Order: sequence, then C-alpha cells, then structure tokens
Amino acid sequence: MSAKVKTIERKGRTFLEHLYLVEVFKGMAVTFGHFFRNLMDNRRLYVRHYPEVKPEIPARWRGRHRLTTHEDGTVKCVACFMCQTNCPSNCIMIEAGERTDGRSEKLPVRFDIDLLECIYCGYCVEACPMDAIRMDTGIFSVTSYDRESMMIGLEDLLTTPAGCSEEEYQKGGC
Amino acid sequence: MSALDILLVILRIAFGAFVPLSFVAVLVWMERRGAGYFQDRSGPNRCNVLGFRAGGLIQNIADAVKLIFKEDIVPGHIKHKLYFILAPTLVFITAILSFAMVPFADTLVLNGKEYIMQAIPADLGILWFLAVVGFGVYGIILAGWSSHNKYGVLGGLRAAAQVISYEIPMGLALVSLLTIYSTVNLSEMARFQGQLLFGFIPMWGVFLQPLGVIIFIVAAFAETNRTPFDLAEGESEIVAGFHVEYSSMKFALFFMGEYVAMFVSSALIVTLYFGSYQIPWFSTETLVNHSKPVVFLLMLAMPVAAYFFNIWMKKNNRSQYERPNDPRVFEAQVYAAVIWSIVIFIEIIFLGFLIFSSGAGGARILVALLQIACFLFKTFLMCFVYIWVRWTLPRFRYDQLQRLGWQRLLPLALLNIFITSAVVVSLA
Repeated sequence: MSAKVKTIERKGRTFLEHLYLVEVFKGMAVTFGHFFRNLMDNRRLYVRHYPEVKPEIPARWRGRHRLTTHEDGTVKCVACFMCQTNCPSNCIMIEAGERTDGRSEKLPVRFDIDLLECIYCGYCVEACPMDAIRMDTGIFSVTSYDRESMMIGLEDLLTTPAGCSEEEYQKGGC
Repeated sequence: MSALDILLVILRIAFGAFVPLSFVAVLVWMERRGAGYFQDRSGPNRCNVLGFRAGGLIQNIADAVKLIFKEDIVPGHIKHKLYFILAPTLVFITAILSFAMVPFADTLVLNGKEYIMQAIPADLGILWFLAVVGFGVYGIILAGWSSHNKYGVLGGLRAAAQVISYEIPMGLALVSLLTIYSTVNLSEMARFQGQLLFGFIPMWGVFLQPLGVIIFIVAAFAETNRTPFDLAEGESEIVAGFHVEYSSMKFALFFMGEYVAMFVSSALIVTLYFGSYQIPWFSTETLVNHSKPVVFLLMLAMPVAAYFFNIWMKKNNRSQYERPNDPRVFEAQVYAAVIWSIVIFIEIIFLGFLIFSSGAGGARILVALLQIACFLFKTFLMCFVYIWVRWTLPRFRYDQLQRLGWQRLLPLALLNIFITSAVVVSLA
C-alpha cells in the first residue's frame, strides 16, 4: 500500500503570489494579449463561419441514414427487420412486401425512420446483414419546421447520395 | 430664470439620465464582443438591418425586442407581489440616481453666471453616492426574499453580506481620500486634481493614494456584483441567484441596473482617482485662454485618427471566407463615408469657431464639450477594465471573499488612513 506515495509540490505559497495582485495582473496581461491580437486582426479568431463554411465530415461520422442499392438500382434491403429489432429507440418502421425481381423473397414497401426519435447510435447499420442501411451521408444538421417532415420514408432514404466514396467508407471500417 | 438657465438645467438632467442608459447598450455590446475577443471567438456579429451590422451593435436591438415581447411572468407562489415588482425598479432607480452627483465638466461660466455641470447641482457629492448605492442592495435583497426561492434567498443573503463587508473598506479608502481633498464635493475634488504634483505629474488621486485606489477599485467591483465578486448571481452554483424568478422586462431592469451601476462606479473611480474630466496637463483656464491653438490641433488630429480607423475597419469589416461581391466591403465603404462626413462637419464647425469666435463664451462651451468627451473616454476605459477583469478572473469562494474583505482590505485601509493622515499633518 505504501509503495506509491507521490509528493505534490504545492504552488502559490510565495509572498508575491500571496499578494494576488501581481498574479492578477499577469493573468490580465495574458487575456489582453488575446484581445488586442483579435481586435487588430479578426482573421485570427479560432472561429468557423458556420453556415457559410461547413465543417469537414469524416467517413466514420454517423450522419443521417440512407438505403443502398444494387448496381441495377434495386434496393438492397430484404425487409428482414434486423434493424427495427435492434433499434433502441424504436424509430424504424418497416412494412415488408413480395419481391418479384428474383434477388430475394421480400422487399420493403414502407421504410420509415422517425428522426426525432433516432439517437444516431448506428446499431441499425451494424445489424444489417445486407449492408443495406448506412449512415454515411454526412448530413449532420437535421432540422425542420414541423414534426411531420422529420419522418423520412423509403423515397428519401433511397435518393440520398453517399457523403463519401466507397473506398473511403470501407477504409473507415464501420 | 432666463432661457439659458432652463436650457442648461434640461441639458444637465438629460445628460445625467440618458448617458448611463445609452452606456448600457454600449456596455452590453462591449461585454459580449469583448468576451468573444478575450476568448478568441467572435461574439454576436450576425444581427443586421439591411446588411448593416454596426459591428454587432444591432444585436442589442434584437435583445431589447426579445425582452420586451417575452411573457411577463409573476409565479403563482409569490405572496408579496408588490415587493416582487418593486425590487427591480429599486435596483434600477438607485443605479441611475447615483450618477446624479458626478460632475462631467468643469463649472461652466456663461454671461458671468456659474453652472455646475452635475445632474443635481448640490454639494453632497460622495455622501450622496454612498447613500444611494447602499440603498441599491435593498433591491437585490428584496428580490431574493420576495421570490420565495432557495436560490433567490441565497443570492440575496450573499449580496447583503458582501455589501456589508465591502462598504467598510470602501468607506475607509474614501476617508483617506477626503483627508487629502478636504471636501466631499465631487466638483471640488475634480478641480483639485487639475493641479500638478512637483510641477509635472497631474495631481490625480491615483498618484496621491496608490494603495487607496486598489482598495477602492476592489470594493467597487464587489459593490456592483461583478466578477470576481458576483456571488449573488453565481450562475454555476445558485442558478442566477436573486433574479432567478424574474422574466421579461423585470429581468431586463436588473440587467440594465447592473450595467448602469457598473457605469456609475467607473465614473466615480474616474472622478475620485483618475482626474475626473481633467485633461492631463491642460487645466480649464489654459484651455480657455488658448482655445484657438487647441482647436487647430484638433482639426489636424481628427482626420489622422479617422484615417487610421478606416484602415483598421477596412481590414476587419469583411467576410473572412470566400464570398463573391462581399456585401461587408460595401458596408465598410458606407461607414467610411459616414465617418468622413462627420469629420468634415466637425471641421467646418471648428473652422467657423476659428474665424468668428471672439468672446470667452464659445471657448468655454468648447472646453466643456472637450472635458465631457475626456470624462466619457476615461469612464469607457474603466468600464473596459471591468469587462477585462470579468473575463480573466474566476469567481471567489464565499469564505475567500469574506477573508479578503475583513482580513486584507480592512487592515490595509486602516493603514492607508494612518499613513495619509501622518503625511497630511506633517506637510501642513
């Protein structure tokens, strides 16, 4: 038990430091340096001018969802309900229908995600056996004026393009 | 009473009432933009009217509109609605009233009559300030108590204890100041500071009372409930302290009261210790007797200042990212045109003064205006120090606050009185 005794050197016990005022003036000199530098040239502010200058979104960022498609444009999703079952916030609602293009037996006829409920945990992406749902759109700002439009359907999910290239996504290793 | 008397009464009262109020807007702007610049961010700069941002000043209008149109809530659990509503008005009224005795220019002599440049031309001076400011804390205590809220009561109690322990060092620092000035009248104090010490140092309070000025400034910070002594508010520990139950304009009154109090105590620090309206090395009589060379120098200095300000503005007032046809460049051009036309306007007035002025009346009015400008500039700098300190120092713990007040400042103030009296007696 007595092996690790670390003696910490106490600071702030000298007379000058006890006066406070010297230290106060030192601190004020530091902040004034920042103020003066920024006042003379406001390009040096550590600020991103957000709505005009967008942040760089890496490939691993879990943004808004999208549904992927095969090369011929048919939906990859087979309506297996894995994502819906895994979802901790119950925001995915799938309705399965019969599939006629011969790839599998089912396909989703309805695929709704309630973005107000979604917590962007990414479990749906990990659960998907077909790599059909991804969160690689890079959309980080999901806003709306009403609740109804926060419910996105199959159409929106399929038409949203990927935010990064396929190689980058694979390298990101989600 | 002649028409001139009435005009001057109106002007002085207007100055005493509206200058603190308009400084609220300036100070809120300075606080928010200044805080931004101290912390390497930009502060509110997006609000605009037709693309004109005025460096972020438009944000104040948006804030005011928001505060006016918010719902004015009186919570249901409040039993004494009168006191609840009275509290913010008390804070605000005392803050504005305490400015009434501060002189903002030397006594104006027109047609052989003397006009004391204070909102209320009385001799009470510093006593008025102490009485009215001491009353201001009643508003805070009343707000905390009538809110029927734990945090509110805690904030009110803290404010009460803080004011008691810091009024004493403040008063004692003033006692040693009064032994030097041997008057309580602020106008006479200001006139005293127009003299020169050893013939070359302006006889300001800060040079005569180097210890007293520190004690007084620390105590003034505590009086106005600003960081590092903002325990009454303490938003990280007791939410917002005394004004936690207030909303809308009642909150705005507290808010404005705080900033007016800050302005007034800056004005008082300037009046007591930093030479009031006195322009260093230029007494009122010197300025009046040499009004024409002074005006000529001003005429030379103004375009130079405007030129450098324009360079600074052109560099900073533009979008800091790729933007085709940057509207902020146009904005800066409009500001430059406004500034140059103001400069030309004032130059024409000065030119007229140089050519047509003959009597002392015009010169005296000019000197009074110069002194008002000097006073406001000094006060502005002192307000900046308030903001600077706020964004540098963390809040004191409560026991540290009391220890500083009673164990450090009180003995120091007593020592200061002892030294000052010894020196004054030995010199007399």
